[in-house]
Amino acid sequence: MPLQPLKILIAVIVSVALGITVAACGSSDNGGGGASSGGNVKTLETAGGVDSLDPGYWYYQTDYSNLLQPTQRTLYYWKPDQTSNPTPDLATAKPQVSNGGKTVTVKIRDDVKYSAPLQNQAVKTADIKYALERCFLPQVGNGYANSYYNNIEGVKDFTDGKAKDISGITTPDDTTLVIKTTVPVGVLADAGALTMPCTVPVPKSYAQKYDQGKQSTYGDHQVFTGPYMVTNNGKGNIVGYKPGQSLHLVRNPSWDKSTDSRPAYFDRIDFQGGFDATVAARRTLKENNLLGGDYAAPPTPVLKSALSQDRDQMSITSSGGNRYISLNTTVKPLDNVNVRRAISAVIDRTALRQTRGGPTLGTLATHFLPPGVNGFDDAGGDKGPGFDFMSSPTSNVELAKSYMKKAGYANGMYSGSPLLTIADNESPAKETAEAFAEQVKKIGLKLQYREVPHATMLTKFCQVPKSKTAICPNLGWGADFFAPVSFFSPLFYGPNIVQSGNVNTAQVNDPKLNKQIEQAQQITDSTEAGKAWGDLDKEVTNQAYFIPWLWDNNVSLMGPNIKGVPSKFNSGALDYVFSSVK
Amino acid sequence: MTTSAFDPTRSPHEEVEISGLGTEIAARSPFELFWRRFRQDRVALGALGFIVFLIIVAILAPVIIDVVGVTGPNVQNPKALDQFGTPTGPSSDHPMGVDQLGRDVFARVLYGARVSLTVAIIATALAVTVGVVIGLLAGFYRGWVDTGLSRLIDVVLAFPILLFGIGLASACSLGNGCLGGAIKPGLSLVIFVIAVVNWTYIARIIRGQVLSVREKEFVLASESLGAPNRRIIFREILPNLVAPIIVYSTLVIPLNILFEAALSFLGVGIQPPNASWGQMISDATAIFDTAWWYMLFPGIALLLTVLAFNLLGDGLHDALNPRTGK
Repeated sequence: MPLQPLKILIAVIVSVALGITVAACGSSDNGGGGASSGGNVKTLETAGGVDSLDPGYWYYQTDYSNLLQPTQRTLYYWKPDQTSNPTPDLATAKPQVSNGGKTVTVKIRDDVKYSAPLQNQAVKTADIKYALERCFLPQVGNGYANSYYNNIEGVKDFTDGKAKDISGITTPDDTTLVIKTTVPVGVLADAGALTMPCTVPVPKSYAQKYDQGKQSTYGDHQVFTGPYMVTNNGKGNIVGYKPGQSLHLVRNPSWDKSTDSRPAYFDRIDFQGGFDATVAARRTLKENNLLGGDYAAPPTPVLKSALSQDRDQMSITSSGGNRYISLNTTVKPLDNVNVRRAISAVIDRTALRQTRGGPTLGTLATHFLPPGVNGFDDAGGDKGPGFDFMSSPTSNVELAKSYMKKAGYANGMYSGSPLLTIADNESPAKETAEAFAEQVKKIGLKLQYREVPHATMLTKFCQVPKSKTAICPNLGWGADFFAPVSFFSPLFYGPNIVQSGNVNTAQVNDPKLNKQIEQAQQITDSTEAGKAWGDLDKEVTNQAYFIPWLWDNNVSLMGPNIKGVPSKFNSGALDYVFSSVK
Repeated sequence: MTTSAFDPTRSPHEEVEISGLGTEIAARSPFELFWRRFRQDRVALGALGFIVFLIIVAILAPVIIDVVGVTGPNVQNPKALDQFGTPTGPSSDHPMGVDQLGRDVFARVLYGARVSLTVAIIATALAVTVGVVIGLLAGFYRGWVDTGLSRLIDVVLAFPILLFGIGLASACSLGNGCLGGAIKPGLSLVIFVIAVVNWTYIARIIRGQVLSVREKEFVLASESLGAPNRRIIFREILPNLVAPIIVYSTLVIPLNILFEAALSFLGVGIQPPNASWGQMISDATAIFDTAWWYMLFPGIALLLTVLAFNLLGDGLHDALNPRTGK
């Protein structure tokens, strides 16, 4: 096709001229690698559905991939392969930081409109102020506002009901947002926390009536700013979502391509739930116009055949998450750092990874923070900080026994009562836990071993300090974005320990560490912050509270005619706004 | 060949006549008579042979594993898996292949036999003991005792046993389990559930038998001589119930083995890492299309064992009740 190079050239010139950063070539219908607009695609999901329709609630992978990325716009966003800096979306440029890091000013575009029924209304900074405020409302049920926005001036008065709004967030005009904090906050200064769905604009005058009562219903009536919207009746009622069954996204007529740096190739995206993972994975590889769904990796048999036959239909990306074995430091003998190090030395990380499907599923961890997160390189990168109990890819029994001896067990073997160990009863987690249980026998560890459903494991045992669960072998953590604070604040910061839903399952509460985390959070320079978080990473790895064994990969599948683009920001799942039909 | 343990319409006279015939005509003991008939039943003999073989294999499992030279049932051998963690099939190192953790399937099938036989024997013994006692009491005393116990049986029969087992397992999974640690997920729970549920069938049968036997002349004679109830129940009536008890027990064993397998399949039976056939089949379902051996061998073991006990039960039934069979 001789015309093709010319076509691309024209497209590039046009794109550059318009200031569009991503080359999109009009209606090219060949498979020459160029992405083309159009196509109705479908995603087969196993669980099917999102956690909530409310942007203030969105926190998990499907919330991001199925709703946040396609249907809404935030102040900043993460381009699929961009991990160092957020890209402005509603904002026009990087935030301006002043007053020693305590004032963050953001300018926004004035030409972004809402979907019907507010199609004539432009997004104003007041809408973002309200969006941030409602994230603190109990009826919204947000899970991270306290981690990132708690140091904004006036938050306490607002949550205590003493103030009607958060005084630290002001809007001098419709396109300027000023956030004042009591201490410098690194994740606001570098805009990391301004990529979260709490910055999806919510018009107060329209939404306030839905934010009453015990549970906000704004999600069912929301107005969209993104390239797509959930099918609705145009009067503010969503009709395109049935939990567990289906979600329908169509183009948002209010979205103006010239205001957005995202391509949004597809015309329509349908999500269908309730599939068996094997069936969903096999069909996705065979049929055109299908996209991978809500499973992190296909079942091993499918993975194996796909790797040899359909390699170009797979996207294998670091998920920005890790997997670890949590050791409860309040239960004897796990309060002894040498016992924890012995367990770290005796586990066979290669065999554990094999239970999940082998090397495709991730890199063996040598320290806590996963790749892509600021601080990873400072803590030693892939090679790690070089602790002997973390460096062997397989079991190092001699070393483990020497640590047991240091802990006071004369012959290097544990003697004492069995340790309550709660595992997941679903494959492949179940196999991982059983492999772990067998490996620790080499240092004589006795376990009171139970397999329970995943939800029971979390809500009755691992996340409940009162249950005195000693070991949880099936846990992991994914980054909210590339800021290490999203690992350290929930997992290692003592004051965040709660009586239920406690994710600090090791119950780490070391005053020195707490102080270090507080200080690192205030660093606004990202190189400096990287160093501080890297040091913290080394410290917690050395203490072996959580024993990391895998830096997870996400394996997404796509139909033969799909060019899927994985989003590193969102656990490596496909970003449907950047994916296209070949 | 009949498939059910007993035909409730059958006359209870027959039991009496078996022992009666033996003494009158050939002066052979009831056992001799039974054995003469039983040893002609090749199928039942074969089944008995298999069961004896299975018991020996289960007892000698550690020795056999040593002799064959395979790894133990809980030894994980990652080298027997490919890099994706997919198990490898039968080979000289592992005659029946390995599972997802690289554990030898042959060794696990042998140790699974231990679980199945333990459950089969202990749970059946408990259920039969309880069933016989309740059946005797209900049949002998009649009246309100009978009414009360019979309604109790109806209630227990109405229990959905699998759901009951699952509920009990989750209720007893915390701390030390229920009844002061006697019942927690695992073997003790399986045995408890089976015993609690399965005594009802035999209790009903025994009750029916007792109702008729207690009207026989020899019982009436004992009564008129002033024999105490205990003596009448245990010395006069119980010996006449030995045949149905033996046959019923043999036929309820395979049901109990299957029930254990079902509970373990559902994850509330034998707890990992201990091997059980039901649990192995459950684990194998996820990888059946790549690792057929993991489901096939425990499946065959389960099939053969259940079949053997069923055939033996039928053989005993025929031999103890010559008029009903062939």
